[in-house]
Amino acid sequence: MSPAKRDVLVCIGLAIVLALVPLVIGTRYIITQMTLFFIWAIVVTQWNLVLGVAGIFSLAQMALFAVGAYATAMLAYYFAIPVIVAMPAAALITVAASLVIGAACLRLRGPYVALLTLAIAQVIYLVVVNDTACFTNPPSGCLPLFGGVRGFSRFGDLGFRALLGSKFYVAHYYVGLSLAVLAVMFSIAIIRGPLGLAFKALRDNPGYAMSRGISKFKYQLWVFGLSAFFTGLAGAFYAAQFGVVGPIVFSIAMLLFLLSMIVVGGMGTIWGPLLGAALLMLADEGMREVGDWRDIGLGLVLAVFVILLPKGLAGVRLRRAKAGL
Amino acid sequence: MTAAREPLLSCKGVSKFFGALAAVNNLSFDVYPGDVLGIGGPNGAGKTTLFEVISGLNQATSGSVIFQGRDISMLPPETVCHAGIARTFQLNASFESLSVRDNVRVAAYFGRENRAYPGLKVGPDVEEQTTAALEAVGLAGKDHLIAGELPVLDRKLLMLAGAIATKPRLLLMDEPVGGLSPREIDHMMDAVRRIAQGGVTIVLIEHVMRFLVQLSTRVLIMHHGESIYEGPPQGLAKDRTVIDVYLGEGASERLGKLMEAGQS
Repeated sequence: MSPAKRDVLVCIGLAIVLALVPLVIGTRYIITQMTLFFIWAIVVTQWNLVLGVAGIFSLAQMALFAVGAYATAMLAYYFAIPVIVAMPAAALITVAASLVIGAACLRLRGPYVALLTLAIAQVIYLVVVNDTACFTNPPSGCLPLFGGVRGFSRFGDLGFRALLGSKFYVAHYYVGLSLAVLAVMFSIAIIRGPLGLAFKALRDNPGYAMSRGISKFKYQLWVFGLSAFFTGLAGAFYAAQFGVVGPIVFSIAMLLFLLSMIVVGGMGTIWGPLLGAALLMLADEGMREVGDWRDIGLGLVLAVFVILLPKGLAGVRLRRAKAGL
Repeated sequence: MTAAREPLLSCKGVSKFFGALAAVNNLSFDVYPGDVLGIGGPNGAGKTTLFEVISGLNQATSGSVIFQGRDISMLPPETVCHAGIARTFQLNASFESLSVRDNVRVAAYFGRENRAYPGLKVGPDVEEQTTAALEAVGLAGKDHLIAGELPVLDRKLLMLAGAIATKPRLLLMDEPVGGLSPREIDHMMDAVRRIAQGGVTIVLIEHVMRFLVQLSTRVLIMHHGESIYEGPPQGLAKDRTVIDVYLGEGASERLGKLMEAGQS
């Protein structure tokens, strides 16, 4: 069986198991947390394409996630577009934003890409929170163009509340699951296909890759564009799921939380980021009661992995398989 | 051989300056289809810089590089590759984390033509070409090894396999046998001969004179970015300038004997 086929089968198997979960577990909290897991799973599988597969140290992914969330909220709020229509539109806006960021990073390498992308994310954040001029004046009070520190709320939802009443969160669970399955399939197609080859070749040795016919310009834009679509869509779904979009999506803590998922799971692998997302969400959950120690605990988990398992959880599996052969 | 035939590659007054240093200085030469042109010369003579200029990784300061009648001096490396020039590197370049097969697959898929939209799958024609290139250099059966873990000879052969997988008309080889043992040199010599017989024109840089003179139909010796000798390999050991700046008396005597032994 080819590796691509094996990955697709694993993905389908996981999807079936996860689809059965709400039939067994009725706790709203668990279902909602798993929906959040799907959102983070989408973001880390797509971020991994840039970071792990193409080896471009971009920290812009959470800003792109925010673009998707904000675009959905703003389209729905200002233009009264149904959220379900605003979501794909927001994903396309995110792709456009990502292409601009990718082009800006073309001539940079290594840590300079990280610096520039972090700076871009911070600039967007500052523009959002420092804009205090009232753009509209709804009954709830002055609202700046980008929502200011308060952000957007009451911009509509996917319509499941009206349809299913208090059980709407189960529908959101399935929407999240479907999007996550699509995003994982998308990343399998890229990593196992010719595009993945081009990205990895440019990562390993850009000069050599170019002299074997791979345009750095073209494929860097491809990876930024492709990885942004589902990231934007995840942001859009986040907006629909929580009904609120505020500047918290730009927070460094959130960025590091997701970055840690990729590092812990294994950069550049198909299943690593997903494993990392599951493990870190469980760890985070386990430390929920210990307040401020939560961040320190996450830091410790990250440190242990960087020192003992630099290739992440997926790296362990690979090393075992090799030793077995 | 008629005098009217067109050169495949033609360098016209090519110069490359790094600040005040002329790494390549007003160099002109032609390479005809079927040639194996050997380039020699002391370290720092500008041989590798010349390759950088031809392959588009570093653009010439002045002069032009004409390939099949088309000026390629300003083209980026990927377009030069698509035009039909493949190159190997002095340092063992590879995609270290990829398998041997993926290394060649990349070249076979992306190296032949510009792909406007990359597909979802590597087609059977590309797979066939990949297998053929691996067999041509003697790496068949090592498909699944990781490139970064290969021994030196295999890495050099892998680089060569990648180059020929792009189906080049012209192959530039930068020190293909540097650091290899005599037996490994023979292996590489066979591989290069087979590629030349397959209709690929070759320009190679090499310090190992045995390799250079036995493979080349013509030799160019560079010094300070200029050509100091261009002609048949047989004339090398007798050329005063070449002996003085490059070979030295001892090496030129040994080379002379090697040439005589080869002719008898």
